[in-house]
Amino acid sequence: MFEKLEKVLMPVADRLGKNKVLVAIRDGFLVSTPLIIVGSLFILIANFPIPGWSEFWAKIFGEGWESYLSNVARATFDIISLLAVIGIGYSYSRQIGADRIQGAIVSLVSFVILMPTTIVYEGAKGTETLNAISFSFTGTSGIFLSMIVSILSVRIFNWAYKKGWTIKLPEGVPPAVFNSFAALIPSAIVMFIFFLVRILFELTPYESAHNFIYTVLQAPLMGVGNSLGAQIIYVVSCSVFWFFGINGPAVANSVFSPIFRTLSIENLKAFQAGLALPHIYTGQFVDLFQTFGGGGSTLSLVILMVTVCKSERIKQLGKLSIVPGVFGINEPIIFGLPIVLNPVMIIPFIGVPLINTILSAIAFESGFLPYTNGVEIPWTTPLGFSGYLSTGSLKAALFQVILVVLGCVVYYPFIKILDKNYLKDEQSQTEEDELEDISFDDISLDDI
Amino acid sequence: MKVLMIFDQIQAGMGGKERANLPLGGKKGEIGSVPMIDPHLKKVEGKVIACLYCGDSYFKENEEEVVKKMTVMVKKLDPDVVICGPAYNYNGYAYMCAAISKEISEKANIPVVAAMSQENEETILKYKEIVNIVKMPKKGGTGLNESLNNICILARKLFDKEDISKLKEKICY
Repeated sequence: MFEKLEKVLMPVADRLGKNKVLVAIRDGFLVSTPLIIVGSLFILIANFPIPGWSEFWAKIFGEGWESYLSNVARATFDIISLLAVIGIGYSYSRQIGADRIQGAIVSLVSFVILMPTTIVYEGAKGTETLNAISFSFTGTSGIFLSMIVSILSVRIFNWAYKKGWTIKLPEGVPPAVFNSFAALIPSAIVMFIFFLVRILFELTPYESAHNFIYTVLQAPLMGVGNSLGAQIIYVVSCSVFWFFGINGPAVANSVFSPIFRTLSIENLKAFQAGLALPHIYTGQFVDLFQTFGGGGSTLSLVILMVTVCKSERIKQLGKLSIVPGVFGINEPIIFGLPIVLNPVMIIPFIGVPLINTILSAIAFESGFLPYTNGVEIPWTTPLGFSGYLSTGSLKAALFQVILVVLGCVVYYPFIKILDKNYLKDEQSQTEEDELEDISFDDISLDDI
Repeated sequence: MKVLMIFDQIQAGMGGKERANLPLGGKKGEIGSVPMIDPHLKKVEGKVIACLYCGDSYFKENEEEVVKKMTVMVKKLDPDVVICGPAYNYNGYAYMCAAISKEISEKANIPVVAAMSQENEETILKYKEIVNIVKMPKKGGTGLNESLNNICILARKLFDKEDISKLKEKICY
């Protein structure tokens, strides 16, 4: 059965993992991750989930102190599409071997070419227009367009470049100058094409490429992604891929992460504005409620390894893995227990995250837990803290602990099977009067 | 066919990257990631009799000593074949595999198979003519099962003293 499954999954993982566009999008988003984390910390401080927090600081810094912090937050997630367009343009250029920085900035320029650049407002003298770019086009609503534009721009740029349509300067010219002249004609072609695209969209009822992509692509995809069904597909595929030694999240994220990321930032914006949080299935839901201690929710497993297992081999690995496990790192278990290609452990390895997902979905859907606020908490944040900070509710922290305990119950029968087997091995070896440990102490280098 | 495995700290089940200073050691029987390769070994009637291990940075600091001690120990335990790996794209471990494989095949006269992913370019380039290095995916890559199988097939053929040149062309660097 496993062989058949592998035959189906390998090509999928291969195709997703080697697809240059998907890899570029995934890596391109990673460029903005540190900035989003820092930006969201500013929001967290401005809106810390303790009653009387805002009033307390207002006494010291005066009313409206939060707006200073918001300025920093705005500089990250209100321009997330700009960050994405640069990041993806850069990483796609790297993937296909184009000039990276030129690829990144020509993507940015193309994106701005498509953007509506006038804002109509009601001024003192009646309706007026202002030449400006609205944050509503550079924030989350532009994310899908940013992906499309950066991939297309780099593609066209590189195509023209490879055709040799460049201005060549004589040898001896410094490389920086040489490269910037070489990029002139390819950039001109890219910009001219997007100039035409903009005009075309202005002729349609959508009026702009932003509006068009948001309506026909982004909104429907987000609707699909923002569902329990999508979460189940995500979490099961992550575990199943790991069984075959394939980094599941890396494969699944190439499809899902733009959607989860966008949903998170929309919650974050609502959180900052003090509005009701719109989405349940955000990136925080995935990072902080599906698994604890890394893929497969192995923190529960490690706890059992330390507390109830008898085999030396498992106990020792458990002790070594518990501290990394608290911070979400489980590489020692994945390869050392192992989980990979282990038909016994794969059952709870899939089951526990799946149960966590379903129970968390029920807890959020029923209103037992408040929705996640979109604050991008590093995935290494220990449980309890992460639940509290992401929802502002102690109930969420407690809920995480309950899930870990429940995970222990599910893992228990399976790790005991493994424990018994290993224990039998260990005992049979002692009976044969062979020393378990091999000592290098009496090795003499003259023996060689 | 008696098999001896050589691991780093992660594959030995002795911890993660933070335990790279794990000194040289060994256990009779199976430890760590052996269950991954075990079904493939069974197919070629192989069984792991012992595992030797060493943290990758400990190796780096005591290379000469570890290589020699490992070789002496392998001679003493006298397996039919030694498998160094799978080393994935762990650079330090891959280098350790190659260096130890070279010494064992030269000094102990016991066949050795190493395995690592293509990311370890330098090591592969330096050792591929001297050591049998089986191709395998990087950590989290596709095709692990197949390469574990290849390692075992090659090990068996070496043990049976069959001609491996054709197989090597297909599965080694």
